[in-house]
Amino acid sequence: MSELNDAPGMQARREILKRAAWLLGGAISAPAALAVLQGCHQKTEPGVAAAAPKFLTAAELALVAEIAEIMIPKTNTSGARDAGVPAFIDLALDGLYPAEDQARYRAGLVEFETAARASGKPFLEQDEQARADFLHNALAVAVNSDRKPRPFILMTRELTLLGYFSSQVGITENMEYVAVPTAYHGCVPLSQMKKHVYWE
Amino acid sequence: MSGGWAAKELTEKGLKTLVLDRGHMVRHPEYPTALKDPWDLPFGNRITQETRKRKYVWSRTGYPTPANELWFTDDLDNPYVEEEPFDWLRAYHVGGRSMHWARQSYRFSPMDFEGNAREGVGIPWPISYDEIAPWYDKAETFAGISGSVEGLPQLPDGKFLPPHDLNCVEVDFRKTIADKLGRKLIIGRCANLTAPLTHNESPQRGTCQARNMCIRGCPYGAYFSSVSATLPSAERTGNMTLVADKIAYEVIYDNEKGKATGVRVLDAKSGAQTDYFAKVIFLCASSLGTAYLMLNSTSSRFPNGFGNDSGELGHNIMDHNKPGGSSASVDGYLDVAYTGRRPNGFYIPRYRNVGKDKRNYLRGFGYQGRAARAGYGRFNDSALIGAELKQAFQEPGPWNISMTAFGEILPYHENHMRIDRDRKDKHGLPLLVVNAVVRDNELKMQEDMRNDAAEMLEAAGYKDIKVNSDDFHVGNSIHEMGTARMGHDPKKSVLNKYNQVHACKNVYVTDGSFMVSSGCQNPSLTYMAFTARAAHHAVEELKKGNL
Repeated sequence: MSELNDAPGMQARREILKRAAWLLGGAISAPAALAVLQGCHQKTEPGVAAAAPKFLTAAELALVAEIAEIMIPKTNTSGARDAGVPAFIDLALDGLYPAEDQARYRAGLVEFETAARASGKPFLEQDEQARADFLHNALAVAVNSDRKPRPFILMTRELTLLGYFSSQVGITENMEYVAVPTAYHGCVPLSQMKKHVYWE
Repeated sequence: MSGGWAAKELTEKGLKTLVLDRGHMVRHPEYPTALKDPWDLPFGNRITQETRKRKYVWSRTGYPTPANELWFTDDLDNPYVEEEPFDWLRAYHVGGRSMHWARQSYRFSPMDFEGNAREGVGIPWPISYDEIAPWYDKAETFAGISGSVEGLPQLPDGKFLPPHDLNCVEVDFRKTIADKLGRKLIIGRCANLTAPLTHNESPQRGTCQARNMCIRGCPYGAYFSSVSATLPSAERTGNMTLVADKIAYEVIYDNEKGKATGVRVLDAKSGAQTDYFAKVIFLCASSLGTAYLMLNSTSSRFPNGFGNDSGELGHNIMDHNKPGGSSASVDGYLDVAYTGRRPNGFYIPRYRNVGKDKRNYLRGFGYQGRAARAGYGRFNDSALIGAELKQAFQEPGPWNISMTAFGEILPYHENHMRIDRDRKDKHGLPLLVVNAVVRDNELKMQEDMRNDAAEMLEAAGYKDIKVNSDDFHVGNSIHEMGTARMGHDPKKSVLNKYNQVHACKNVYVTDGSFMVSSGCQNPSLTYMAFTARAAHHAVEELKKGNL
């Protein structure tokens, strides 16, 4: 069990959730499922170890981190985790969004996990292919919705891309980053460019 | 913008000059965020909820980010009253809004100076294009304005540094709208040094490095600001004393002398009051700021505000009519892109009510825009994941094009600001109340702005054309002006043709307050030219003993 999950208050929180589930007649509600079942088993996310996450619980962060990593996995270039995306998303949710968006995000996260469990296993315990398929399907559904207000999975995607392309590895491994270009050239064949994408 | 010019001109002509700024000190080249890499900025450089809350007026512009928000004044701390939605966008620090202006620099034309008289709108300008033209030359030469010579009567050419490139899509768009619609597209004229200055008065300024981070402050001094250009010139004369954190809130008027003798000032931090005295006073606090200071300066001679015999002080507020942008996606051009980051875009000069064109409204508008290749944001609404997504990162996105119209707003007496003495800010100063809206002429113009944008984008064969029809709030273009207009007739204007207060000749107002009509061009260059001319006049009048 991680230091993070041993933080004061965690035990009490789990107890409250367990009791809430019991009061509901033993049927574990979706939020309780997420908080209780994942709370103790998840290792601390890299990049967030030093400080407790600001907005997400450790369990929520674990789920979001995995979603981000499936979207942008480590290949010959860095993945979302390498780029510090999970910690970025946590801070961004805390600092950039009004309470209503935060609440919608949190509810959407629970919906996502609840839907994943229709297969019989929590998202994080499913095999790699099943996770990718489930995520891809969730994205496809969201992309084809009216997207207003922005659903959880597209908020996560947007923050994953933003976090990745605000990181040094994300930028420098995928683009040509020129801090001081010295000049603007308005029409350059891609064949003459160092990389096809320059940071701007 | 204008304050720096006044300081430079007055000190260079030998006047010991005190410069007061209500905000904190800023010195070239000390711009705290200017050299930060993207990964050194918090929140992916997106505006935080805290900033949205504190800078709630600035947030309406979409400009503030962690990289630049130090130049955007805290609105919660500096309240004003909007009787109608009005975006009063303030920059309380040395350098003011010249720190983060968009640097677009266009001359007003003879058509602009003559329009009011010809059409019976407002009052006539007391000055012709020919009278101000040499001062435009001076302002452009000193500031360094890049642009192309076009020979357009509605947009006179100036003393230009080399123009920026249009990109591949913009070049073809220029040809299409010229061939099919007879409209001109040019590269923006901007205060960025595309080549070394043609003078050696600003050794601290270097050429543009194509970083497009001007809004943070440029350590190369490559764009014009008061901090990078005019104040260093003033400093070098040895005649300037610059004092920050001093809020001038009253002009001191001496009834017996019939002159202003100085200004009354509060220290922004301690609240201590000081009076400063001078032979001649330049007010350059921005249009609303200056009119506020004058309205707040009452005396037995000026019971309705300093210099306000006409009753026009605080009235005739204008800005630029800007009802929302247009955009489209552009097919093709996939084998070309651009390198470097251009701090500029294209400009489509006014063509409505020019020559034989006649509309059901007066005046016209220009468009500012750019074409670009889409970045990673295009993946926000895509289901692509994993290695495939990462492969897609390696190629630039499709081209898109966007443009925004800036149109003239006519002067209406009803569009005004005043002072509410019953409500006070944290300094104990009364609150400014503003009430300005766009009216029939502007609303008719907005229809053309939207339709014409769609027409041009369609003519070029672009797809997925979007025309935004946001409500426009006066002030949002950050070109508010007109609150102390100049004119020949002291009964209808506050200033004379030299920017002197009609009723008190040793006070000059050279920020946007003096404007008699708004044109559709970005106005800063015009403020620079008029300020230089006014300073010249002030020094000549002092020599003659007239002030």
